[in-house]
Amino acid sequence: MRVMEQEDAVTTATAGVVVRSAWQRRILTFLMVFGPGLIVMEADNDAGAVSTYMQAGGQYGLHLLWLLVVLLPICYFIQEMVARLGIATGKGHAAMIYERFGKWWGRFSLLDLLVVNFLTLVTEFAAISLALSALGVSPYISVPVSAVGLTLMVVTGSYLRWERIVIALCLMDLTWFVLASMVHPHWATVAHNSIVPTMPAGGITSSLVFLVIAIVGTTIAPWQLFFQQSCVAEKRLRFADLKWARLDTLIGATFTVCVAGAVMLVGNYGFEHKVVFQDPAQLALALGPIAGSFVRNGVLLLMVNAAVLGTTAISLASAWAYGEVRGWEHSLHKKLWEAPGFYATYVACVGAAAAIVLIPHVPLQLVIISVQVFAGLILPSAIIFLQLLLNDRELLGDRWVNRRWNNYINWTIIVVLFALSLLLAAQVILPNLFQ
Amino acid sequence: MATIGVSPDINEFRVIHPLDDVAEQKCSAEGLGKIQMTRAVRGSLGVLRAYLILMTLMLGYHVLDLSGLLHKAR
Repeated sequence: MRVMEQEDAVTTATAGVVVRSAWQRRILTFLMVFGPGLIVMEADNDAGAVSTYMQAGGQYGLHLLWLLVVLLPICYFIQEMVARLGIATGKGHAAMIYERFGKWWGRFSLLDLLVVNFLTLVTEFAAISLALSALGVSPYISVPVSAVGLTLMVVTGSYLRWERIVIALCLMDLTWFVLASMVHPHWATVAHNSIVPTMPAGGITSSLVFLVIAIVGTTIAPWQLFFQQSCVAEKRLRFADLKWARLDTLIGATFTVCVAGAVMLVGNYGFEHKVVFQDPAQLALALGPIAGSFVRNGVLLLMVNAAVLGTTAISLASAWAYGEVRGWEHSLHKKLWEAPGFYATYVACVGAAAAIVLIPHVPLQLVIISVQVFAGLILPSAIIFLQLLLNDRELLGDRWVNRRWNNYINWTIIVVLFALSLLLAAQVILPNLFQ
Repeated sequence: MATIGVSPDINEFRVIHPLDDVAEQKCSAEGLGKIQMTRAVRGSLGVLRAYLILMTLMLGYHVLDLSGLLHKAR
């Protein structure tokens, strides 16, 4: 195992906060480390995810709640590896693939990531446009204003400022629990279906299989691997922080799955009232007369929040990855003029995606299909590289590599995800394959 | 542990934010070259590469087809 020194960290004898008890020390240390795990998980509940969970509730009621519970440990195990690798190396995922697997894999992973991220950003801005249009705001105002706001969030030259803003946005998703309780679900059925898989009326259909794959695909996205590792490196988490980073990731995964469940409960309300809808904005408008204007406006605004969270995290994942591979300065600690390439990548991603949404008659359906298939393509390969890197004793030494039980669990997850991604790709490219 | 120091008063702990802490030595791939792989892993990655190229081409064709560009070309 070779070692190197991290740059820039400065400590003085007076730095930090003095506390008087061990438990205060633990809590404060956790709060200082807290952030990347919650953000990566909650940002994954982006506009596409909200739409998918709502569709699941709208079409199948509470029948797919168990799937979210199954996905919780899977999300955690994958992201824990990412956090561990980030803490051990102090580098992002793209840089590690480049360094350890060579240029071909490095470029392929980066290109795939940039393409799928960009297409996802287009869907995020489409969601912002859709939701705010339903609230009476023209897309020609909402989309540019959102793009400018998302840019201002990152150009302050402070990672911590960005992190605090984004954590506040994540916590706004607590409102989903308020909305879920306002639509009065049958809690005993919710508890039962969260634990026991039940078959929806109609049995296993092509549409059900597609939705199951979509839920898995939207809950575990390729950009998350790149984002969290870069974020951990950006925050300069230390070896001793690993246990807190794990707790952060676990809290993030649990919170995200609970929010996803709440979204499904709102969708289920549409199912119970036989509301037919194509997207969450339509459902929100239909629910207005039944559930009240708070639920209608809440769903629309939370859809915007989901899209904003997704956009900032995904754009940063792209900018970090591209900056790492190009060898540019790639840090939110830097001012605009100190890391021009990094910020230019972020602004280009956000600006171009926003501009595309404003073009009349853009084939959004084509974009959505491409996102699904590209994500399906990149996810298994990205996770395989993650798994191989976490078994790289030459790089990590015995301390950081996966234990045997880690590998059993992770290879099982990889095989399942690979099979699902193959199914998804086949079903999207050949829609009549399973009919 | 670099993160938390015990001050002269035994009942005091200094908690330092990661961004303000001393530099820590990290695992580095510098000078290591490419990762060492068994023949089976190398073969599996070769299969993965072929699969990814094939799927990318199929996706490209599918997108062109859906966008109507192929019909126009015909």
